[in-house]
Amino acid sequence: MAEPSGAGDSIPLECPGLDTAAGEEFLQEVFQILLEEGVRKSTDVTQKVCDWKEPQELRDLLDLELRSDGEGRERLLQRCRDVLRFSVRTGHPRFFNQLFSGLDHHALAGRFLTETLNTSPYTYEVAPVLVLMEEQVLTKLRELVGWSSGDGIFAPGGSMSNMLAMNVARFQRFPESRNRGNWDLPRLGLFASQESHYSILKGAALLGIGTDNVHLVRTDERGKMIPEELEKEIQRVKAEGSEPLFVCATSGTTVLGAFDPLDAIADVCARHGLWLHVDAAWGGSALLSPRLRHLLAGIHRADSVTWNPHKLLMVGLQCSAFLLRDSSGLLQRCHGVGASYLFQRDKFYDVSLDTGDKSPQCGRRADGLKLWILWKAVGTRGLAQRVERAFGATRYLLEQVKRREGFQLVIEPEFINLCFWFIPPSLRGQENSPEFWDKLGKVAPAIKEKMIRRGSMMVGYQPQGSHVNFFRQIITNPAVTRQDLDFFLDEIQELGWDL
Amino acid sequence: MSYVVLIPVIMLLFLFRYTYEVSPVFLLVEEAVIKKMIEFIGWEEGDGIFNPGGSISNMYAMNLARYKFCPEIKEKGLSGLPRLVLFASEECHYSMKKAASFLGIGTENVYFIKTDERGKMIPEELEKQGSAPFLVCATAGTTVLGAFDPLDKIADICEKHGLWLHVDASWGGSALISRKHRRLLHGIHRADSVAWNPHKMLLAGIQCCALLVKDNSGLLKKCYSAEAAYLFQQDKFYDVSYDTGDKSIQCSRRPDAFKFWLMWKALGTTGLEERVNRALALARYPPHSLEYWRKLKKREGFQLLLEPEYANVCFWYIPPSLRKMEDGPEFWQKLHQVAPIIKERMMKKGSMMLGYQPHRGKVNFFRQVVISPQVSREDMDFLLDEIELLAKDL
Repeated sequence: MAEPSGAGDSIPLECPGLDTAAGEEFLQEVFQILLEEGVRKSTDVTQKVCDWKEPQELRDLLDLELRSDGEGRERLLQRCRDVLRFSVRTGHPRFFNQLFSGLDHHALAGRFLTETLNTSPYTYEVAPVLVLMEEQVLTKLRELVGWSSGDGIFAPGGSMSNMLAMNVARFQRFPESRNRGNWDLPRLGLFASQESHYSILKGAALLGIGTDNVHLVRTDERGKMIPEELEKEIQRVKAEGSEPLFVCATSGTTVLGAFDPLDAIADVCARHGLWLHVDAAWGGSALLSPRLRHLLAGIHRADSVTWNPHKLLMVGLQCSAFLLRDSSGLLQRCHGVGASYLFQRDKFYDVSLDTGDKSPQCGRRADGLKLWILWKAVGTRGLAQRVERAFGATRYLLEQVKRREGFQLVIEPEFINLCFWFIPPSLRGQENSPEFWDKLGKVAPAIKEKMIRRGSMMVGYQPQGSHVNFFRQIITNPAVTRQDLDFFLDEIQELGWDL
Repeated sequence: MSYVVLIPVIMLLFLFRYTYEVSPVFLLVEEAVIKKMIEFIGWEEGDGIFNPGGSISNMYAMNLARYKFCPEIKEKGLSGLPRLVLFASEECHYSMKKAASFLGIGTENVYFIKTDERGKMIPEELEKQGSAPFLVCATAGTTVLGAFDPLDKIADICEKHGLWLHVDASWGGSALISRKHRRLLHGIHRADSVAWNPHKMLLAGIQCCALLVKDNSGLLKKCYSAEAAYLFQQDKFYDVSYDTGDKSIQCSRRPDAFKFWLMWKALGTTGLEERVNRALALARYPPHSLEYWRKLKKREGFQLLLEPEYANVCFWYIPPSLRKMEDGPEFWQKLHQVAPIIKERMMKKGSMMLGYQPHRGKVNFFRQVVISPQVSREDMDFLLDEIELLAKDL
């Protein structure tokens, strides 16, 4: 790097160093692009879902290099267009790839607001509106869980929420471990189902508990944790000298969409004095629907819950709530250090509003605002309708899958995850041959590649347990219609026909 | 060019950055930005990831260093192992404590190394410590005072004893972009990991935080991966080394590098450098802004804590009624009450905001942080005038 140039000595400081007029004009243009190329095109069924490019080709197209000099307005506007063009349109009615999809205009407005405010909700002083909104939203979510009081905070993702649960559970049992560490603690035992999200493992590693101490409990043929197996595991782990601490039940597993039997699991936890955390990141939104909430019967008995409105409720990445039944300040005691430059006690307002110290984060995004605005826009009823529509769409698709030749269900879906194989004509009737499964495992990747290159739709596949690659179809987007669902099956058929 | 422009683009795409399949543009952009940041640190190559916060970056670094020290901990946990300790300056960010607690290390096992009167870690004090830490954390730009630890000297000690050196440059890292001021971080290339938050000095927009790692052998991935089959299938039709999401503790992640990239394209390195230079010119003590400091120093009642090295201006305002008072506990106790009152008044008036805090035995003082290119000399003068006005009767 060159020697200090002394350029700083001649900086004019009398006027602002930013051309706000030009900046605002640029913004106006970008908003137009966003509306046309972003909002409209990304939700338009006549557009491609993705415009596949090989990584090197895409690198060249994007001209990624960061240089000394800035670029002109037109070039930058073109860059914005390029980004929209070469990115996957997750708002497209034929994007079924992840546990989220679709675009909600009110939530998007909430997200724009949050970005424009550019603040961190650690204190009331810095983010008064956002702090109050977060509290309100968390209260409402807790109500739906069945708690009339409690605590919580928004976290950057369900993985983090699950880790917060683990940490609070450990702190509750061993309060000194916060300061002294885990060194003198007994080996702990964490339990989750075989179908649980991998963040439990990541959390165990990060928290210094160790992935070996995560015991995965067997699930039944529907992907649900078997409570008797949980009991057995706890006994086994105790006999080995470890101290069971934490059970994570999943309401809506990632792949199969299964719901663990919460009441029975809560019984086991109560018997052994274990912390019950429910990972309802995916399935939590079923609580909004009077018809579907029975899937989470017993959730009020949990000690903590993870719930991600950015999945089914389309609120926008990220929005994950960590909810805690305790209202004695456990969360604050577990995480708070009372940094004096943020959490002064001599402020002129009620400092209990400064909730930021409850989080292991310092700066945080204000993820509650977009959910609050969405909720205001559609009401609890509107949110429930959304969940029920997604569920209804899945039922329709299920019927069709059962009717069509060549489509085989992996399991009967309980929720919105529709898991199935497509068996191309060449393999039909050969179910008993030894290479059948091997060959079938190659079908989904091949169809996936074709659909991506064509840009017609996207759906995920994965192997699971002893099952070879199967498709996992997820519908969350209320813009999805019957035609889209029919198209989905037709397309799989077409792409997979001659395999 | 405001950061605000660029963020809506990401919002729309609503994308999770774990695989190339779902998020091709953002993954490549993140890769390019990390590469560029690494260049500025001075490494030939390296690795990195964007995180939801500097606190999380520090947590990552702590876990990474621990993993390097003893990879078995990932599976076995800490129970029954001999205690590990880490060192950080007494001015370090509180996230070091939160991270130590979260990781099961324990806040007691964070040893705070003494700092000098300028808030910088004293290397000799570091050397004096008896135990061997698995991590030393130096801070480049402390939160309150804006102090920069002497990285070269600290690196000497770390090298000598084979210790992982993490530099928390969340705040000060952006000085690397300025040819004039990068010497504040001289020696940073000797670090094993660096936290750097462009959402602070560079206005990239909350959040935009990177953890950069010198190791290029895939340590980050080995430490963090869980290889979930539903995301990281090995039988994809493209080169799956692009699916970088498994380096993270998160599953879904926001594409925070993008807004930084677009802003960099708009301003160029030169434009970013001008921003940093301008902020520091307003806040620091170099000759050309001496005028401001003369005002501050000469104005009765304003007393600087120390000459700012970066963009933190820390000072007391001593109202007229206390000026004739003798130095002593009563004086300081009364002075302690002044800042909160002025703060309340400025907020109720809505005319400006700056923070105050007690710190290391010093009573409440103001901390003005200068960043925005919209701030002009007039705004700086206004701050002084307004404080005087609000405190007239104190």
